[in-house]
Amino acid sequence: MSSPVPPTGDSRNGAYVFRLYLASGAPNSVRALANLYAICRKHFPESHRIEVIDVLKEPLRALSEAILVTPTLVKVSPAPEQQIIGNLSEENEVLRALGLPERQTE
Amino acid sequence: MIEKKRALEKIPTGIEGFDDLTSGGLPRGRTTLLVGGPGCGKTVLALQTLVNGAREGTAGIFVAFEENVDHVIANGGRFGWKISELQKRHLYFLNAQLSPDVVKAGAFDLTGLLLGLEAKAREMGAKLIVFDALDVLLSLLDDRAAERREIYRIQEWLARTGLTGIVTTKVEENEPPIAPRFGFMQFMADCVVQLRQRVDDRVAVREIRVVKYRGSPHVLNEVPFVIDKAGIEIGASNGIHPEPQLFNDRVSTGIARLDEMLNGGIYRGTNSLITGSAGTGKSTLSSLFLDAACQRGERALFVSFDENACDIVRDLASVGVQLAPHLKSGLLRMEARRTESAASEDHFIRIKQLIREHQPVCVALDPFSALVKVGGEQAARNAAERLIYFCRNERITVLFTSLLEGRDAGLETTPLHVSTLADTWIQISYSLCGGERNRALTIIKSRGSKHSNQMRELIFSDTGVTLTDPYTAGGEVLMGTLRIEKENTARAEHTRKLDEIDHKRRELEVIMAQRDLSLDAAQRDLCNRTEELDTLTLAEKTRTDERALRQDTAVRKRDRKLVREKGADTKPARRKPRARSNPKLP
Repeated sequence: MSSPVPPTGDSRNGAYVFRLYLASGAPNSVRALANLYAICRKHFPESHRIEVIDVLKEPLRALSEAILVTPTLVKVSPAPEQQIIGNLSEENEVLRALGLPERQTE
Repeated sequence: MIEKKRALEKIPTGIEGFDDLTSGGLPRGRTTLLVGGPGCGKTVLALQTLVNGAREGTAGIFVAFEENVDHVIANGGRFGWKISELQKRHLYFLNAQLSPDVVKAGAFDLTGLLLGLEAKAREMGAKLIVFDALDVLLSLLDDRAAERREIYRIQEWLARTGLTGIVTTKVEENEPPIAPRFGFMQFMADCVVQLRQRVDDRVAVREIRVVKYRGSPHVLNEVPFVIDKAGIEIGASNGIHPEPQLFNDRVSTGIARLDEMLNGGIYRGTNSLITGSAGTGKSTLSSLFLDAACQRGERALFVSFDENACDIVRDLASVGVQLAPHLKSGLLRMEARRTESAASEDHFIRIKQLIREHQPVCVALDPFSALVKVGGEQAARNAAERLIYFCRNERITVLFTSLLEGRDAGLETTPLHVSTLADTWIQISYSLCGGERNRALTIIKSRGSKHSNQMRELIFSDTGVTLTDPYTAGGEVLMGTLRIEKENTARAEHTRKLDEIDHKRRELEVIMAQRDLSLDAAQRDLCNRTEELDTLTLAEKTRTDERALRQDTAVRKRDRKLVREKGADTKPARRKPRARSNPKLP
């Protein structure tokens, strides 16, 4: 059972769509969700959608979708699909993976 | 509430040798760690355990962190494991490789995977789980603390789910088994098994060692194993040899006179060693032993090293031993092994398989000493010893030969040092005497059996193989020409004696014939004389009667005259006839 989180801001179809696999309550998972929200708000506040899949609730789904570690973020669109593992605390890595310009250290 | 302490339960791997080493298999509900360098057989061992379990209905999960699942399944197929069939119910494979495109951005953990696996295990009722190449996954963490945390997470998860875990992890060849990195892993595991591959004398040798096993006795030694067409085979046993039931009947060696020397043959179920230098006839004796077995209708196995089976069959036909019919009937099986092709352990495993397949009662291994040629003496000795014990336990009568080489040949030592294991030890040596080389056979020992202490000459001829009678002269056993001379003399003497007797007999026969003839003549003479006598008697009687008649007449005339004159009462006198003598001779 998926629990889609309502997109923040105005969302448009065809914009950034994320799927986040996490284990609810696990520290890394909690941080990942927070980090993802922050990144989205900052870089594409108008155009993103996040689907959160809790492996505690849907354990077999993660297995069948070859999700090994939690948290795992899947960028579904725009294509190509991209997997990012970890709690997303390394923002530059996330941005690079998403094809966005890296944040300059101030 | 005090929990009752339960005995450690075990889950068999189905790999006979491994279950022997660990006194029953892996700890149930605990974690076993398989460590070793690349290509050591960790994955094979783990998968084989899983497959064996699945065949018995124990469901299992295989998590492949390094190799693609399709490869793992394909490799298993090479060992004849019908994985796709087992996958339907009892096996689940998870491809758990992270794609190289995956970006790592921050810390992560295995919670998701473990939750997924837990659900899967519950769904299929799995009891066993393999984490293959955990090191690959851990290397993504590149943080000691994170590694430990995740190892602990897996252990905790295994304990909670009650699954029996097998975790494999690579250790570099020169890395000590308890390296800092895996020290923690070793600690968490209840059973640690180390696999190793090394090259000894150009031949690859695989070895396995149970480094630790909490709460269970196990063999601590490093023991050899092989990966062959059926998977992992561990030849070593736990060193506990059940006492096989002894036989009291004896088996022919195939040479009647050798059986006599051994007081009726060798005991069934024992092993015999034949030692001798090249060309002394070890192979021939081995074949005769099996030929005799086949003639009794028993199954036999001939394992030759570095000699083709067809060559042996042909060569033996030259001494009158026909193995071909036994091969045709299926009683005899011949297997030619090339020593350079494999390590002694592989030979051992193969021979064991052959024995299982063919179920022989008698086995010959010739020359068994060839095992030491490749792959190290120690390994060969070890394999040889175990093979002998294996045969003893299977109650197979074994004849194995050992080639003696070099100047030490006379010392009666064998390269495999198996002579102490042998129940019977027959030595064939060359006796150099009188400018000849002859084969001399002696029985060095024969346990529990009276045996001849004589040295006999072993003779090979077109009609067969035999041992000569012992001829001694001046304290030396005569052989070859000297023996033949002695035999000839004896034979001449014997012939002369026979001639003499014959002559005497003829003489007597002549005399007897002569006597017979004279006896006949005498008989006839006697008859004639008897007849003559009868005639005479008759004539005499006639004359006497006539005379009496005449006298009678005269008397009657006179009486009548006297009566007429004065009367008279005179009676006439009669003669008694003469008794005839016996016509037969005394």
